[in-house]
Amino acid sequence: MITTDRVKIAAAEYLGEKWGTPVTVCNVEKIFGGASRETYKLTLEVVGETRGVILRRDPPSSLIDTERHLEYGAYDRIYPTDIPVPEPLFLENNTDFLEQPFSIMAAVENPMSDVALLSEEQKKIVGEQKYNLLGRLAAKDPFALKFDEIMTVPDAVSTAAVQLTYWQGVINDDEIHPQPIAQAAIRWLAANLPPPAQKISIVHGDYRTGNFLFNEHAEITAILDWEMCHLGDPLEDLAWSLDPLWSGEDLELAGKLIPHGQAIQTWCEASGLSCNEEAFKWWRIFASVKAVAIWISSSENFEKGEGKDSILAMAGWVMTDRQNRILLNYFAPEVIS
Amino acid sequence: MIPHTDGALRMLSQRLMKQLLPDLKSLYSLSDGALIGLLINAIADETGEGIQRRLDDIAEMKLIFIAGEALLSSREKEVISTELSSYRLTDVNDHHDELTRILVSLHQKTEDKKIEALNQSIWAYLGRHSRRHKITALP
Repeated sequence: MITTDRVKIAAAEYLGEKWGTPVTVCNVEKIFGGASRETYKLTLEVVGETRGVILRRDPPSSLIDTERHLEYGAYDRIYPTDIPVPEPLFLENNTDFLEQPFSIMAAVENPMSDVALLSEEQKKIVGEQKYNLLGRLAAKDPFALKFDEIMTVPDAVSTAAVQLTYWQGVINDDEIHPQPIAQAAIRWLAANLPPPAQKISIVHGDYRTGNFLFNEHAEITAILDWEMCHLGDPLEDLAWSLDPLWSGEDLELAGKLIPHGQAIQTWCEASGLSCNEEAFKWWRIFASVKAVAIWISSSENFEKGEGKDSILAMAGWVMTDRQNRILLNYFAPEVIS
Repeated sequence: MIPHTDGALRMLSQRLMKQLLPDLKSLYSLSDGALIGLLINAIADETGEGIQRRLDDIAEMKLIFIAGEALLSSREKEVISTELSSYRLTDVNDHHDELTRILVSLHQKTEDKKIEALNQSIWAYLGRHSRRHKITALP
């Protein structure tokens, strides 16, 4: 980890060079902004104006092993569309400035991400927007937006198997303890692959409450954390967003916002796609397996000392525990009490 | 000497969260400290109950292995019959892991051979295992 003073000096030098004008960094604050990168909020003064930027620096270890150019490339391609994301400014692979590669994005004004701050009426409004935006993302043509230039294009038949193989590999490579529940789920998924995807869509990869910002008018102003973005079955995002882990205590509410049925209907209307029951069940179980893989991976990083962030330990322990019980509930609800 | 380590850890966690964290100015440090406090609480629970929970798991897995003995390899039977080398948490953990790997393999065999009763008894064990290890120490 580097100090905020170091970030302050390096950012002033870097941005001054990029913009060709002196930049004063007035304030640097480390924030929780996605667990896969160290995230800093910077307040700048540039040519007499104050502006905010977000700097995301690759840590030696993170929750998700991602390639920064994929994430930045996703922001870059989505930004000109009607899906709100922060404006990407710079991607720097040179490690001279901050010892690790980093990216810089414009900060979103007055950001809020905790939906507990919303009234019941506002939750409905934000929930509708959330699933409308996801539907619109699913409807987009990834080739027109040139996503095929930065990502592998799977075919509609094999995309589920490709995803399963990848996350199964993460579990097998990173598990510190054997995972009997996740392994049973993986066997079921492998034996019951879903029908082909209706289309190959842009999949955000971590679309959930907590990964978008909204303002005081209950308007979603930015979708964040595109580090797991890929091309695949659009039902993958819908299923992930409805995982019980994101629902808190009310399991009937999608991401603590609106009922599941309403979320799915909104998504279907916005995407023009259908939600096949059989396929959706597969993707919901897959979502929990993928989550276990992510939590296990973070646990492995913490165990090896590659990452010392407490969120890695929390995810690896508490989240794996919760996610295993979610999986148990899919396969053997009678044994859960 | 701290005779009740779990209680001492819970006390330290409370002190961290209620007395030290409120004085921190950085929101990040405050969040990080709160997570550490929660983890210390969960570790306290593990310190007090972790070994017994694993011993209960081991005893239950061994009963399942008796019922599924015909499906086990000689190597697996050898591992199952091995006694614990000590009651240190790491040794109990290692033995628990070895038996769990055998359980995963046995579970798959019950699916392949459609041995429903044994398959269900493994799911029932996983339910009890999950309840036993449920992290309840978080407020």
